[in-house]
Amino acid sequence: MPNDSEVRTAVAPPGSTAVARLRSLGSGRTGPLVGIVVVIAVLATWPLLAANPYMLSAGVIVLNFAVFATAWNLMGGLTGYVSLGHIAFFGLGSYGTGLAVIHLGINSFVAVLLAAIVVGLISLLVGWAALRVRGASFVIVTIAIVLVLLLVFQSWRSVTGGSSGLVVPRPFPDMLRPEHHRVFFYIFLGLLALVLVSYLVVDRSRLGQALKAIREDEDKAQSLGIPTALLKLAAFGISCFLTAIAGGVYALWFGDLDPIFQFDVVLSSQIALMALLGGVRYLFGPLVGAIIVGSALEYFLLNFGETQFHLVATGLLLVAVVLFAPDGVLALGAALIRRLGPSATSIREMSAADVRAQQDERAAARGAGAGGSVTEEPSERASDD
Amino acid sequence: MTDAGGAIALRTEALSKSFGGVHAVDDATTEFFEGKINGLIGPNGSGKTTFFNCVTGMIQPDSGRVYYRDREITRWQPHKVARTGLGRTFQLCRVFPRLTVLDNLLVAVHPAHPLAYLGRPRELALVERARGILGRVGLEHLETAEARDISYGQQKLLELAAALMADPEMVMLDEPAGGVNPALIERIAALVAELNAEGTTFLVVEHNMEFIMNLCHHVVVFDRGRPIAAGTADQVQQDPKVLEAYLGV
Amino acid sequence: MVSGALLFQSLILGLLLGGLYALLAAGLTLYFGIMRVVMLAHAAFIILSAYLAWWFSSVTGLDPMISLVGSVPLFYGIGYLLHRYLLSRLRPTTMTMMSVLLTFGIALAIEGLLGLVWTGTQRRINLPYGPTSISFLGAQIPVVQIISFGLAALSLGVLYLIMKRTQFGRSLRATIQHGQAAQLVGIDTTKVAGMGFGLGLATAAIGGAALSLQATIYPSLHWHWIGPLMAIIVVGGLGSIPGAAIAALALGTIRVLLEIPMGPTWAQTIFYVALFLTLMLRPQGFFGGRLAQRF
Repeated sequence: MPNDSEVRTAVAPPGSTAVARLRSLGSGRTGPLVGIVVVIAVLATWPLLAANPYMLSAGVIVLNFAVFATAWNLMGGLTGYVSLGHIAFFGLGSYGTGLAVIHLGINSFVAVLLAAIVVGLISLLVGWAALRVRGASFVIVTIAIVLVLLLVFQSWRSVTGGSSGLVVPRPFPDMLRPEHHRVFFYIFLGLLALVLVSYLVVDRSRLGQALKAIREDEDKAQSLGIPTALLKLAAFGISCFLTAIAGGVYALWFGDLDPIFQFDVVLSSQIALMALLGGVRYLFGPLVGAIIVGSALEYFLLNFGETQFHLVATGLLLVAVVLFAPDGVLALGAALIRRLGPSATSIREMSAADVRAQQDERAAARGAGAGGSVTEEPSERASDD
Repeated sequence: MTDAGGAIALRTEALSKSFGGVHAVDDATTEFFEGKINGLIGPNGSGKTTFFNCVTGMIQPDSGRVYYRDREITRWQPHKVARTGLGRTFQLCRVFPRLTVLDNLLVAVHPAHPLAYLGRPRELALVERARGILGRVGLEHLETAEARDISYGQQKLLELAAALMADPEMVMLDEPAGGVNPALIERIAALVAELNAEGTTFLVVEHNMEFIMNLCHHVVVFDRGRPIAAGTADQVQQDPKVLEAYLGV
Repeated sequence: MVSGALLFQSLILGLLLGGLYALLAAGLTLYFGIMRVVMLAHAAFIILSAYLAWWFSSVTGLDPMISLVGSVPLFYGIGYLLHRYLLSRLRPTTMTMMSVLLTFGIALAIEGLLGLVWTGTQRRINLPYGPTSISFLGAQIPVVQIISFGLAALSLGVLYLIMKRTQFGRSLRATIQHGQAAQLVGIDTTKVAGMGFGLGLATAAIGGAALSLQATIYPSLHWHWIGPLMAIIVVGGLGSIPGAAIAALALGTIRVLLEIPMGPTWAQTIFYVALFLTLMLRPQGFFGGRLAQRF
């Protein structure tokens, strides 16, 4: 329906509440796109504000986390399959890029794409095995993938350089350090836009709807005819492909790869933590989580140095999020807005009769406001999430 | 009089499934008829639900075969079974709690080609169809509510509506009358009869005798994992084996 | 070609190592049985216990095994409280996932605390009998390995007796098999589950002390252990203690045998190979129930 949004704006009554407008902004077809543009534009001001190259590089790191966490959320948030092993595909992407640049001598960014495609294919193979199990078993498998890759990359010294590291040639060799950070900040920002749009496209497609059904009740989804295995694999593949791109660009930026960091299961869990903390059901949840956790990690590093303190902090934060905010801070924020909004009760406490009364009321208001005909109403509801 | 007229819709041959030495379904050979409301009854623990799950592919039978309209569907994956036109509901009502009522129906429509999954989920034609079905089960006023917020009885109706959305030729209902009030039981029964009159075949698993006896054209009785009697409601009610299994006389 | 003597020695060492793996994995599979929880902090608690044994021994100069007098009750209590105040608070619908994240967080916190208190330096207990070996049919078997195997075998035996012969064990098994039914016959399942968790963590205390005899320890060592242990419980069939024990013995032995041609690092990958093969061929595990695929 090409003119769906037009119809919607046409019937939107002038007297509709701010909350309703906010809601339609969050769930309409163009709303989130506008949101992405705004968010990217705001983030783009960071290099102007950053006082020194250190702050700029911290920004690059946080953006890298945000890209990674949003890509993770495409799997973890939509299907409910929590992977603590996504770093495996990040690491493969970075090593793949590094090795391609070194051995094939191709353009650095072509190498990123090439590596990401290969990693995407690998992830389909891995996913085919890993997605045969659910829940906790899946988590075990994803952790195992990271641990086994760590072993392999540490031992396979002739290819990976082992623990002494792999130096990746820089794409812009003549650039000074601050300039280098600035360029990569914008590259990562572009990547963030790409990942956010990808998430949005999947979320709004039939695939996204089916994935959410799988998250809610996989057996039931299967019994309704949804080819769950295939769709989970598709989500996993897309998520890993985007993760590998993030890894590849990271390799070009950082320039030095060590298996301990490229296959760090702790970092992997921090990525999951970011998404959960922000809210896995929200487009910008992982971004918000990445900004919070990423800044906190940098802060700890700056003020407490290389101690184990950040481990304790991450661990306790994870425990706190799971216990007190399993739906993330954005959900807490949304609940707050709802409480302040005109409808004082949460939908949970409403009986069917209340819902009906409220809908009748809304329909009446709509009819009065727009003088609208009956036929317009369904088309609004059709696109109202 | 036998009611075994008409074509066989669903048939099992020597279907067996055991869990750690317990024969949940034991050598079950059954037939269910096209265009009829078929019933499957039996005491608690007689293997009805396990039988159901073996037929729909939720669990794998140890041995035996399942045929749907002469096509063998043994050990098919559940989504493939669903796509051949065999819909089902679950014993303890299962809906997608955090999807809206409308979305609960829309996910049940499967595009013919996997690539179509990239398309939009809410085509107007589908939405209209979903609304039609919601109207039939009496949930049209709740379409924007999340499924977890509606009552249990409404969830039961929603589950039935979602099963209908895929336009199945045969629907298997697992204890549709379980845990709902008498008025709603009557409504569900009326709905089943109505849909059956329009051509949908049903297989209803229940231990509510009355529900089955009033509704079903053909009844199969299970005891300890195997069918012990089959026929019309009247026939099986007078079968001494059934009386023994049910009442212990 | 490898000499027969070396092969024989490796076989013995492998079985001894497998015994230790079996004890360490028993707790992990016990938690899974009780609550369908994968307790990622199990290995971190093992390392914590190893640190306590080392610290006790270096402060008092006594045998590290004596630390068990304190650490076993301590860990039992921690396990009980962990279940009571953290895990049982999670919503049942998201229990599996959230418990993984929760216990992951605990594991990180323990690792960080170990680093803060005792730094990241590698530690090793110096025992008078540390370097001693016993000659057995031509194989040289270190005494510490025999001690830790003995401890593991003893603990598993006690665990078996508790599960099979005591009223608590019966209640625990009933809770594992069917929580609701257990409640109906009057079992306080929350309390029993908490005690089961305590029991699982008590095995971690013993396993950690046994480990401290023969291994160099450092805070991040638990990553080295959690992977193989998880592989063992999946291969053995989630929730099955005998399955875990058999898988542990088998994989431990294969691992040590593979060290001869491949070296320790590559040999370690056997656990993951076994994990993936299990998932491909038999997701429910080789000895246990039909739980694994669903959880």
